[in-house]
Amino acid sequence: MKIQRLDAKVALVAALALSGCTKPASEPGAAAKPRVALVLKTLNNPFFIDMQKGAKEAAEKLGVELVVQAAEREVDVDKQMQIIENLIQTGVGALCITPSGSREVVPAIAKANAAKIPVVIVDTRVDPKAAAEAGIKLDGFVGSDNYEGGKVAGEHLVQVTGGKANVGLLEGIPGHETGDSRLKGFHDALKGAPGVKVVASQTANWERDQGFSVFQNMLQAHPEIDALFACSDMMALGAVEAIAAAGRTGKIRVIGFDAVDDARKAILAGTVLASVAQFPSEMGRLAVEDAVALIRGGKPPADRKVRIELVTKATLESR
Amino acid sequence: MSAARWLAHQGRQVGTLAGLVLLSGLLSILSPHFLSVSNLLNVLEQTAINAVIAVGMTFVIVSGGIDLSVGSIVAFSGVLLASALQAGLPVPLAVAAGLAAGALCGLLNGLLVTRGRLPPFIATLGMMSVARGMALVFTEGRPVSGFEAGFRSLATGRVLGVPTPVLAAALVYVAAHLLLTRTRFGRYVYAIGGNEEATRLSGVAVRFHKTMVYVLCGATSAIAAVLLTARLNSAQPIAGIMYELDAIAATVIGGTSLLGGSGSLGGTLVGALIMGVLRNGLNLLGVSSFLQQIVIGVVIIVAVLVDSMLKRPGR
Repeated sequence: MKIQRLDAKVALVAALALSGCTKPASEPGAAAKPRVALVLKTLNNPFFIDMQKGAKEAAEKLGVELVVQAAEREVDVDKQMQIIENLIQTGVGALCITPSGSREVVPAIAKANAAKIPVVIVDTRVDPKAAAEAGIKLDGFVGSDNYEGGKVAGEHLVQVTGGKANVGLLEGIPGHETGDSRLKGFHDALKGAPGVKVVASQTANWERDQGFSVFQNMLQAHPEIDALFACSDMMALGAVEAIAAAGRTGKIRVIGFDAVDDARKAILAGTVLASVAQFPSEMGRLAVEDAVALIRGGKPPADRKVRIELVTKATLESR
Repeated sequence: MSAARWLAHQGRQVGTLAGLVLLSGLLSILSPHFLSVSNLLNVLEQTAINAVIAVGMTFVIVSGGIDLSVGSIVAFSGVLLASALQAGLPVPLAVAAGLAAGALCGLLNGLLVTRGRLPPFIATLGMMSVARGMALVFTEGRPVSGFEAGFRSLATGRVLGVPTPVLAAALVYVAAHLLLTRTRFGRYVYAIGGNEEATRLSGVAVRFHKTMVYVLCGATSAIAAVLLTARLNSAQPIAGIMYELDAIAATVIGGTSLLGGSGSLGGTLVGALIMGVLRNGLNLLGVSSFLQQIVIGVVIIVAVLVDSMLKRPGR
């Protein structure tokens, strides 16, 4: 009896393992095709889904196989390292990585270096100090200038408010290069406008639901707030709901970052003033192109800046 | 444990081990990259952290409790250790500070459960939030990173080709296994989980031993924090989110009953390995990360389902 039950268990595990492997990615036959891996921070954010789309299109065009992997949680730096280690084991031709942590990714890159696999960093820069200390080698960077984006957002705010506003800020996760740079750019843009004051600044950890609750609390503490800059649209859109709940829609100018679809809709509807657009699908495309060039012995540019653009109602309607 | 239960437990362990072997066999057929020395060492290295946390979790669950705070304790003792290192403390002292922080959180958990008579779920749920908050306050939300090579070698070193985290985990397992099976303390942990009242009536200092179980769990979480911090060359206040669930999963897949009173560290180790092998294999095969979550969830459910089928009387 007992033996039978054990068998049943073993069979279940087996069935399960099989069912998980619907698509063995690269098995004999596909060996001739170079393989490029794209390791994303997460796959539950439209930004990275767009990036994946651009990467896939480029991979199809260039005739390479693309493997896309991401940790379950955007902040899980150890899981990202595990994914990179496992991809190194499969002998991918090149790695494109959006670092979950600017410093925490460094040991994983060192392992890729040791395995002589070229690494292209996408979107979020590796901390230069940590990189120098570890002596790692990066074969390219593709991404927008987050500092410049934050600055553009700040300048727009100064312009539309006529240089007088009480601003609330929603930060990204502290220590993330993307959020930190956007914030710095925004602050620098305000330097020439003493009438624009930052009255509160807190993190909402890139999350929509936290954007709601953090901004709701901010409004409680600082009812004088009449403008908001959120370091991502997800947080901005959460805050928009908080503004609606407070009955102050239209009275608070909201600027987000990323210009995701929902934010574009909100801009057209007038609940968001503007958002800084990046072009993640272009990042994905360029990253794969560079990776393939590296595999084929080429030497792509070390630093590729992907354009940014301020999206407002006017720019959307003029299209 | 009665003879019948002992037998059932042995059967259960053989079953889990068979599951691991079969899973590995399957993966080596499906992926040409799975069965290589470097990949297997990889799996062990990736499993080490969860496996070490699961040691303390096994003690707690065998004693009839649960500890939801382990992930937050990893973060708190990690940033404390990292700050101590950056303040220039020698490595052994800094590591000791990290371990003490973890054990202290555990002590608080234990006292809340035994003296405050809080259900373990509530006490450790509170600690989960408190320790996370302390880590964030302590670091102002920023990661603490960049350590000397001597400390980093705790994760990057190799002894006879075996990565140091694997060796550390092995040491923890051997010591903890002896503690659980060869000492009075271990026997009391089983007894408390089996029938706390009877154990108390037979003159065992139940409150003391239960408290120590949580101290131990805090300490193993801190050991995991040392390994994680050295591995990433950085300690993040947001590290270890949801690690408690991975540790509970490894323990439960390994055959430890959530009702307390039964279980083994051998089982937990195999449970942690099953999760590690599964994640590694799914990565190697390029299975989407969404599907991976479904597969892991199903494995947890199947393992416990089999467990309850084995234990159901009269069938």
